[in-house]
Amino acid sequence: MSHSPSAALPVGHYAYDDVDRTFLKQRVAQFKDQVERRLSGALTEEEFKPLRLMNGLYLQLHAYMLRVAIPYGVLDAKQMRVLAHIARTYDRDYGHFTTRQNIQFNWIRLEDTPEILNVLADTDMHAIQTSGNCIRNVTADQFAGAAADEVLDPRVYAEILRQWSTLHPEFTFLPRKFKIAISGSQQDRVAARFHDIGLIAREGENGRPVFEVFVGGGLGRTPIIGVRLRDDLPEEDLIAYLEAVLRVYNAHGRRDNIYKARIKILVQALGTEEFLNQVNAEFAAMDRARYRLPEATVEAIRARFGAPDFAPVGNAAEKLAAQRKADRAFDAWVHTNTHPHKQPGYCSVTVSCKPAGGIPGDVTSAQMDLLADLAERYSFGELRITHLQNVVLGHLRQDALYDVWQALEKNGLGEANVGFITDIVACPGLDYCALANARSIPIAQKLSSRFANADLQREIGPLRLNISGCINACGHHHAGHIGILGVDKRGEEAFQITLGGSAGDGDASIGQILGSAMSEDETVDAIARIIDTYLSRRTAGERFIETCRRLGTAPFKDAAYATA
Amino acid sequence: MDRRNSRRDAEGTSVITANRLLDGRIVWLAADGQWATLIEDAKLYPNSAVEEALKACNARAQEEALVGIYGVQVTQTASGPLPVTSRERIRAAGPSVHPDFTPDWHAPHPAPYA
Amino acid sequence: MPLLENGQIIQDTWQIAVEGDSLPTGNVLVPLARLSEGLGRNTDARLGVVLTSADEVETLRDALPRLDVVSLTFPIFRDGRPFTQARALREHLHFKGEIRAGGHVLPDQYEFLLRCGVTAIDLPEGSDPAVWQRAHEAFTVAYQPSILNEQAEGFALRRRLT
Repeated sequence: MSHSPSAALPVGHYAYDDVDRTFLKQRVAQFKDQVERRLSGALTEEEFKPLRLMNGLYLQLHAYMLRVAIPYGVLDAKQMRVLAHIARTYDRDYGHFTTRQNIQFNWIRLEDTPEILNVLADTDMHAIQTSGNCIRNVTADQFAGAAADEVLDPRVYAEILRQWSTLHPEFTFLPRKFKIAISGSQQDRVAARFHDIGLIAREGENGRPVFEVFVGGGLGRTPIIGVRLRDDLPEEDLIAYLEAVLRVYNAHGRRDNIYKARIKILVQALGTEEFLNQVNAEFAAMDRARYRLPEATVEAIRARFGAPDFAPVGNAAEKLAAQRKADRAFDAWVHTNTHPHKQPGYCSVTVSCKPAGGIPGDVTSAQMDLLADLAERYSFGELRITHLQNVVLGHLRQDALYDVWQALEKNGLGEANVGFITDIVACPGLDYCALANARSIPIAQKLSSRFANADLQREIGPLRLNISGCINACGHHHAGHIGILGVDKRGEEAFQITLGGSAGDGDASIGQILGSAMSEDETVDAIARIIDTYLSRRTAGERFIETCRRLGTAPFKDAAYATA
Repeated sequence: MDRRNSRRDAEGTSVITANRLLDGRIVWLAADGQWATLIEDAKLYPNSAVEEALKACNARAQEEALVGIYGVQVTQTASGPLPVTSRERIRAAGPSVHPDFTPDWHAPHPAPYA
Repeated sequence: MPLLENGQIIQDTWQIAVEGDSLPTGNVLVPLARLSEGLGRNTDARLGVVLTSADEVETLRDALPRLDVVSLTFPIFRDGRPFTQARALREHLHFKGEIRAGGHVLPDQYEFLLRCGVTAIDLPEGSDPAVWQRAHEAFTVAYQPSILNEQAEGFALRRRLT
């Protein structure tokens, strides 16, 4: 029951041509030259640091960390195998999927990096702009091109923006990093309002897309929900408008204080109206013809994307129904880990990278190889990384699910917990990260073990738990229904709890801090009491976030700080 | 540099640490002037002498291929110097979530560059 | 200071206004605050202006037809405002003269500067122009239009760099 794509084009992502490949090799050569100049002393560490960051290379606590770009979260089986190869050969046999749909390797050597980048380039991958004060990897809906509720596939536009932002001459030394997310569904699965620019695409009147444009959202030290600048930006003005926004930001964003340098601070300081006026003035003054995005260009990029060639599914749905009836554990997994597909007889599967007691988002090279095998065999060779640190197989026949689940189960990837309390989002924290104040992973592991019971998780229902090891908020704690923030109390780790955050679905909100920081074990106990409070106070069918909003934080705060 | 890196009491004892430029690995300045991978081998400095020692180290940073040189306050224990902050304890011992990844970890298979 | 222009090192013949002194005769670069003084000189010598990265290029709109050089300044290479200043001078104000970049600039930024409209770099004494030339030749393609209006490379927004 294997599929073979009808064309040689990769399904779900842009196919490189010789021009793109030449560019990647030139970028690797450039980096190699920069490393040599650093070693010779021609570049100081201060000068070299931003240059290596723009190739995804950080110096963390124990070693260099390399963040490899997975544009709009999509990669193919061949690329996943190369990531496994890098984990085995240059790292310690694992990688970590991030909340920006990328992958990080924790034990990289600077001297190996040009060679690693070369290996990546051989399969059309890179680490370009996965860090630095530039336009970062553009993220997109993990169910793009598959979801039943999708209006249009955002990945073509994510690719256009990826190309446009690559080594952009004007916007590579911005005041601070700049993150763009794009969704093609009204169900905002990308947290568009928590990005520097968030785009939500829909069909316009002339059959071409229009974009809702949000600007100035973000988490970090100052969590802010983005403001809507445009409701109906035409496709042909997409690049021009983003140029205008970036120009205002590059010219006027603060450069005197790293903590006030994001575009959200500029938007707040000027006020939405004045910011919009400046963007509009720039938009009016610029050479619009130069930056116009013609339909032909969009279609030329679209033509480089492979599409799945769906086969007739016969009685797939019936077969699945029978298998679900026969196997309760499988049924539970299908219930939590699948998502409706626009093609009858198909569905999308979210592979949980959150095993009970495990490290959120970490996968071994063997698991990467397995995922590549499954993608090749069952899902047109396509894989997606989600901003919730899981992996999606986008297009599975419903009668293939049982085989896929069994293979995942055998390899520690069969957890039936997507959207539940143990589907924890966590940054690497102080175990690896040079910026962190506290470890994120051990507390995630304790909570994951504490709530591991499948019936208990189901009873608690949909709940998003996010953990950040410092105020930079890579774990998106403000956007978690329950958020945990690691802080430094005179050199010791401590944790604050936030409650009531939400990332999307049109109801973005920022979690509120419950009270003073506690130790790791106290925090785990406090969260257990918060859950008990929810279970006893909820009305029939009420989700955790809804109960939070109805009751406010007071009863949860009482529970969290109650001494046993 | 991270301001946490220079947080030291007036009194007390410190060791000097850095990351190697070429592979990023953590090293500690030993009594013989070499940079060791284990904190046990680190030379102890009274806090009053740390700034001067750092100045000397920084002057040689490029030629010794080191980055981010700073002092770490420690207490002395039977098994060697123990940093006072959790951050530096993790740097000294390796990530707490991978107990096998101690500072003297070696790849089970020789890497291509070995 | 040596000036890098079209891949050649040339000797800079321009003088820079010294604070507190009256403007010299000959070609001179003045800070924005002394622009009207520069414009008021009764001479055939040419005039240029030195901007800080915080200056608004829009303030040059009226004076620009009488300026031969606008010199942009990087206080540190990470301060990317001169890129936007250069692009605005070309695209909004249609400035046709020389745009220089000086201060703390890296060879790794050279191609970006050229594509934003900069035409000359004030190099620190002792700089190796070969490193700059190598940076200029590092890439044969770019992924977006620029004010240089390079030729398209294949489909989409790609441009051929020469």
